[in-house]
Amino acid sequence: MGDETAAGELLPVNEGLVTGIDNEPRDVQLLGSKCDRCGEVSLGANAVCLNCGSDRITGIRLAPEGELWTYTVIRHRPPGGYLGPDPFEPFAIGLVELPDGIRVMAPLAGDVDSFEIGCRLRLEPWILQSRDGPAYRAFRFAAVAG
Amino acid sequence: MPDSDIVILGTGIHPFGRFDKTPEDLGVHAARQALGEAGLEWSDIQAAYLTRMYLPATSGARILRRLGSSDISIVDIEAACASGGAGLRQAVLAIRSGEVDTALVLGVEKMPRGFMDPSMIYADWQVRMGLSMNPAYWSMRARRHMHEFGTTEEQIARVAWKNHRNSVENPNAMYRKAFTMEQILASKPVCDPIRLLEICAPNDGAAAVVVTTARRARQLGGEPVAIEACAHTVARYSADFRCPADSMSATISNPGPTRVTSQKAYEQAGCGPDDIDCFEVQDTDAFCEIEICEQLGLCERGEGGPMAEEGHTEIGGRCPVNMSGGLISKGEPVGASHLGQVVEIVSQLRGRSGARQVEGARVGLAHVLGAGGNCAVTILAA
Repeated sequence: MGDETAAGELLPVNEGLVTGIDNEPRDVQLLGSKCDRCGEVSLGANAVCLNCGSDRITGIRLAPEGELWTYTVIRHRPPGGYLGPDPFEPFAIGLVELPDGIRVMAPLAGDVDSFEIGCRLRLEPWILQSRDGPAYRAFRFAAVAG
Repeated sequence: MPDSDIVILGTGIHPFGRFDKTPEDLGVHAARQALGEAGLEWSDIQAAYLTRMYLPATSGARILRRLGSSDISIVDIEAACASGGAGLRQAVLAIRSGEVDTALVLGVEKMPRGFMDPSMIYADWQVRMGLSMNPAYWSMRARRHMHEFGTTEEQIARVAWKNHRNSVENPNAMYRKAFTMEQILASKPVCDPIRLLEICAPNDGAAAVVVTTARRARQLGGEPVAIEACAHTVARYSADFRCPADSMSATISNPGPTRVTSQKAYEQAGCGPDDIDCFEVQDTDAFCEIEICEQLGLCERGEGGPMAEEGHTEIGGRCPVNMSGGLISKGEPVGASHLGQVVEIVSQLRGRSGARQVEGARVGLAHVLGAGGNCAVTILAA
C-alpha cells in the first residue's frame, strides 16, 4: 500500500461519484444512477432510488455539458478542509442542469463575474492536492468556449 | 378554531448572544424562568425534552440535574434548525397520550463563532470542493428567485432593514442596532447576492416552555396560551436544495418543506394564514424570509419581495413578521431558536411586547427551517 499512495496517485474525491476516462486518466466523468422503476436519475452510484426507493438501478455516466440553473460567489474561504487554491481566491458555485434530468452542485471555473443563469457549461477535471496526503480527482464546470 | 387541549403556561429565555457561560448556566436560567412563570416547581415536571444540535450526548440530563434530582424521562432531540419544534411536538404528543400532564421543553445551544462546522452535515468531498458553506445555498435560492420573479437586492435588503430595526426594542437580541438601507446595501457580499448585514450568526442562548393541559392550567391560574398546532416534517425528495444537498431533480418538483409543514399546522389549528396576526419565521438570511412568506401563504409565489418593500411585514403592517428582530439580529442558537420564537409569540399574545407589540394580536405562528429540509411550524392562540 505504501508505494501506491505515493505522489502521483489520484483518488476519486468520493467513491462512486467520479471516474476517469480511458486513456485520459486525469480526465473526469460524473457517475449517476437511473432508476429502472420511476426513471429518476440521481448523482453517484446509489443502491436505492432516492425518489421511489426501488433497488433496481442502472449505473450511468452523466452528460458532461449543461446549463447553469443558479449560482453564487463564495467570497470567504469555506470552513473545514477545503482543498482549493491557497491563498484563497473567490470562486463561483452553482447548480448545473444536465440533459439527464438532474441539477448538480459544483464549483465553477473562471471569472466570478462571468456567469449568468442559462449559460452553457462543460464538466472538467479539478485535481485537489491535500497538504500531506493524496491528490483527489474532483470536478467543476467551466464555460463552453465560443 | 377548535379549543386546544394543550397550553403553554410558562416561558423563559436567556438572551441570545455570546457569553462566558456554560450550557448548564444558559439552560438553568431559561428553565427556572419558565417554571416560575408557570408557578410550578421542577418536581411538577413529568417529562423533559432538551433540544440542541451542537451540544454533546445527554445534555438534557446534564443540564437539568442542576434543577434537582428526578427520575422522569429526559430526552435530547435534534432536528437541525427545527430542533425546538420537534421537541415541542414531542411534549404535545406525550401530554395528549395521557401519560403525563406537564412537560418542560428546553432549547440550549453554545456555538463557535463564524461559519458552522461543515463536518456535521456535509460529506468530506463537499468540504474538499468548497461546497460546504451554508450561506451559499441560501444565496443560490435568492439568485434563482430574482431570475424567475424579478425580486431585487433592495427588496432583500428591506427585510434586513426591518428586522434590525425591530431588534432595537428586544432586550434578548444579540445585535440591537438599526441600519439604513444604504448601510445594508453597502455591506460586503458574503455569497452574492446576500450581504453581511443580511445574514444571521450562530451564537449562544436558551429558551424554555412549560407545557400542560388546559385543565391543569385552569387549576393553576396564570396566563395560558393555547398550542393550536405543532408540526415538524423533513423535505421530500427534490422539494428543496437546502444544505447539504449535492444535487436536485430537474424533472420532479415537490412542494417545499415550509408549504407542507404549514399546511399540516393550518389543518391542525383549523385556520389559515389570514387568521394569524403575527409571525416569527426563519430569516437565516434576508431572502429566506421573502420565500417563506410566500410558502406560508401570506402572499402569492413571487410576491414576497414587493410585500416586504411595501411594508406589509412591518409591525403595524398587514402581516407583521419577525417582530423580535428575527435571527438576523438575535443570532441563531440552533437548538433554542424555535423556542425563542415561541417565547416572542406568547409575549405578543399576552400583550406584553412593549414597543414591538402587534396591536390586538390573538393568534401567532412560529416557523423554522434548516439543514436537510427540517421544518417546524407552531401556531399559538391567546
